[in-house]
Amino acid sequence: MPVPRRVVYCSLLVLVGVIAVQYEAATQGGGSGPRYQVDPWWPRPFQNQSWVLGSVTGVTVDAQNHVWVVHRGADSLETNEKGMMLTPPSATLCCQAAPFVLEFDQKGVLVSNWGGPGQGYAWPQSPGGLSVDAKGNVWITAAGLEAPPTTPARGRGDAVVGEAPAPAAGRGRGGPPPGPPDAHVLKFSRDGKFLLQIGAPGKMEGPDSQTTLNRPSAVAYDAAANEVFVADTGNRRIVVFDADKGMYKRHWFAYGEKAAGAAPTAYTPNDPPAKSFRDVTCIEIARDGQVYVCDRSSNRIQVFRKDGTFVKEGVVSKNTLGATVTGQFGVVSSHGSAWDLAFSSDAQQRYVFVANGHDKKVHILQRDTLTPVGTFGSGGRYPGQFLAVGSIAVDAQGNVYTGEQHHGKRVQKFVQR
Amino acid sequence: MKRNLLIGGTFVALLVALGLAQSVVQRVAAAQAQNGVMAPRFEVDPTFPKPLPDGMYQGQTIGLWVDAQDHVWIVHRPDVLDAAEGASSQTPPTGECCNIAPPILEFDQAGNLLRHWGGKDGPGWQWPDSNHGLNVDNKGNIWIGGNGAMDGHVLKFTQDGKFVMQVGKKGVTRDSLAQDHFFQVAKTFFYGPSNEVFVADGYGNRRVAVIDAESGKMKRFWGAYGKPPDDKAALAQGAYDPTVTYQHFRGPVHCADVSNDGLVYVCDRTSNRLQIFKTDGTFVKEVYMARDSRADGAVWDTAFSRDAQQKYLYVADGRNQKVRIFDRQSMEELTNFGKGGHYPGEWYSLHNIATDSKGNLYTVETYQGRRLQRFLYKGIGPVRAKQQGVPWPQGK
Repeated sequence: MPVPRRVVYCSLLVLVGVIAVQYEAATQGGGSGPRYQVDPWWPRPFQNQSWVLGSVTGVTVDAQNHVWVVHRGADSLETNEKGMMLTPPSATLCCQAAPFVLEFDQKGVLVSNWGGPGQGYAWPQSPGGLSVDAKGNVWITAAGLEAPPTTPARGRGDAVVGEAPAPAAGRGRGGPPPGPPDAHVLKFSRDGKFLLQIGAPGKMEGPDSQTTLNRPSAVAYDAAANEVFVADTGNRRIVVFDADKGMYKRHWFAYGEKAAGAAPTAYTPNDPPAKSFRDVTCIEIARDGQVYVCDRSSNRIQVFRKDGTFVKEGVVSKNTLGATVTGQFGVVSSHGSAWDLAFSSDAQQRYVFVANGHDKKVHILQRDTLTPVGTFGSGGRYPGQFLAVGSIAVDAQGNVYTGEQHHGKRVQKFVQR
Repeated sequence: MKRNLLIGGTFVALLVALGLAQSVVQRVAAAQAQNGVMAPRFEVDPTFPKPLPDGMYQGQTIGLWVDAQDHVWIVHRPDVLDAAEGASSQTPPTGECCNIAPPILEFDQAGNLLRHWGGKDGPGWQWPDSNHGLNVDNKGNIWIGGNGAMDGHVLKFTQDGKFVMQVGKKGVTRDSLAQDHFFQVAKTFFYGPSNEVFVADGYGNRRVAVIDAESGKMKRFWGAYGKPPDDKAALAQGAYDPTVTYQHFRGPVHCADVSNDGLVYVCDRTSNRLQIFKTDGTFVKEVYMARDSRADGAVWDTAFSRDAQQKYLYVADGRNQKVRIFDRQSMEELTNFGKGGHYPGEWYSLHNIATDSKGNLYTVETYQGRRLQRFLYKGIGPVRAKQQGVPWPQGK
């Protein structure tokens, strides 16, 4: 029996439809939430043609709607990427690491840059997140290198697993930098003048310490009380300090517990939720005063009041596990689905954007219920795709900025469509 | 007082003179830019290609050609995905992303993925251990090489991935005098007038080899300066010294592209030079670029402009991350563009370049670049800078 032409056409239409939907799914996960597309023209290329970004560990937007970025610089570049920094140089025109801290305007033009070692403070072995407070000061965590694999805790900075760095391994030559491990938070003026250091490298006095930290991944600033909230990854806690003096205020653990629990074992999807944080890698304070925290490889977000009272938790991607891979610049950890988060720009902050570095996408959750309402992005190197998307921020217009670690090494801008 | 005035006056006069001189210099420079050197202009097109469907993830991309329909063909290495990139391909899967894309990918002008195949051995052919180089002949057949430790062959398929011919075989060793195999081929180039394929041979061997495109029979081969290849002497040349003129290819012999007027442009990658030959292997001349480059070298691939005379030669410098534009007659570098990085118009390790019928330029990147990019041809225009950087469209 001959197939009626109409049926053929209808089937063709359906087929085309299926293909179209599949393509759409590669870039846009669908769902009822807002939809985003990449702006491939942001940022503009650096004026200095030899500069490249390293692994990006922090992105934030300040009150002037400028986008701030911190990256790992030369330590995260392969020799192919930093030919000008080698001895002898392998190339004259490309490349060298851009300065660690970069400020972009809305057009994507680089308007200031600074960072690196200086008097009175220790520049991180690996920076983690950065945050600009209401006074315009820039906070950067020293998220550090990964602890030996026996410890499940992982920092948000590009984690490098393994043995203690060999003394010969110098900065800029690949491999872990020498020196005492990161355990501090730094505060600078917006033009890079050092203001305050909380904690000190190599000084780690445990999860109840009032003066020391352990590879902190992120900070959030609370203007109401002039306090800085620190995601103290290695100590599996949130700790709060006075933002000017750095004086200890309070701290708490997962579920708002006051006592440090045991370090959880590695995540498996069907186990009951861990009683402690595995690796708390982000912290953000919503306008309604709720404190949102990522527990990265536990695939969850926990919500607190500013005093540490536990409010709720939500799962981002239950089945996400992780991988630890060896790269030229060390062993790189890619674990879990909750690497960083940011709130939507509307007055109610209806949505939470969660950077899922292992699945290479951004989740959009409804903030009040932590219910997923959509995703965007997919794995790859093209504009709008991600490798290890580990940091995220939203500007006043609601545009979303993402930073990629490992070999991603980009900050990308997404606009609502 | 008088003396101070005199000094002051002289100083002012000097400043005025300097200012005048500077403005004259600027005007002359502008006039030179407008009336002087002209070269093809390009703008990066970040909309091409579209992201791969079905969560496919592209690996190191090490071969590129544009066919007669202006479809863009690439070959990449799917097997280089690490456990974090290929999380969904692990046992058990550790994440939702990503799926491995087959090695041969075809894109239309809109950037849609069309045919995709390859990666496995079949009756009569051995898939390379490490894919390398792609070319399309006048019948639309796809040629690929391979630079794996065992790869000594080139392969010819139809566009649908049907096997046509294998020349050479796996499991051989270095022998730049071999008649029946290659060693670690970087690129093939089909040359219509003689129905021959020029083989950049390669990573292991240090020669240009020419075979018949139908029979695969070896017709001739040569080393640097058109002399017989000498592997022993080539390997004895030692670490790179920018002041030395090397008598043998340091290699990899990474391209052997033939112009319409019958000149063979051979990339001697880590010598930072192109050697130019007649199609019979007669040496014509050599051109160095970024001669102080070390490591993996500055001369990775070439492509011709699409005018009948092929007036311009484009050279991919994957060490400095530039496309260099040469006047092919004089072999003077007119300008270059591009920059290191992962954004549109930037490269990690710029590996291959090719042009389409409209003159647009395509690039692919290996290592951690892993992209295909398109640069739209915007006609011939005055050169405003020796180093243009990222060819950003005006108004963006």
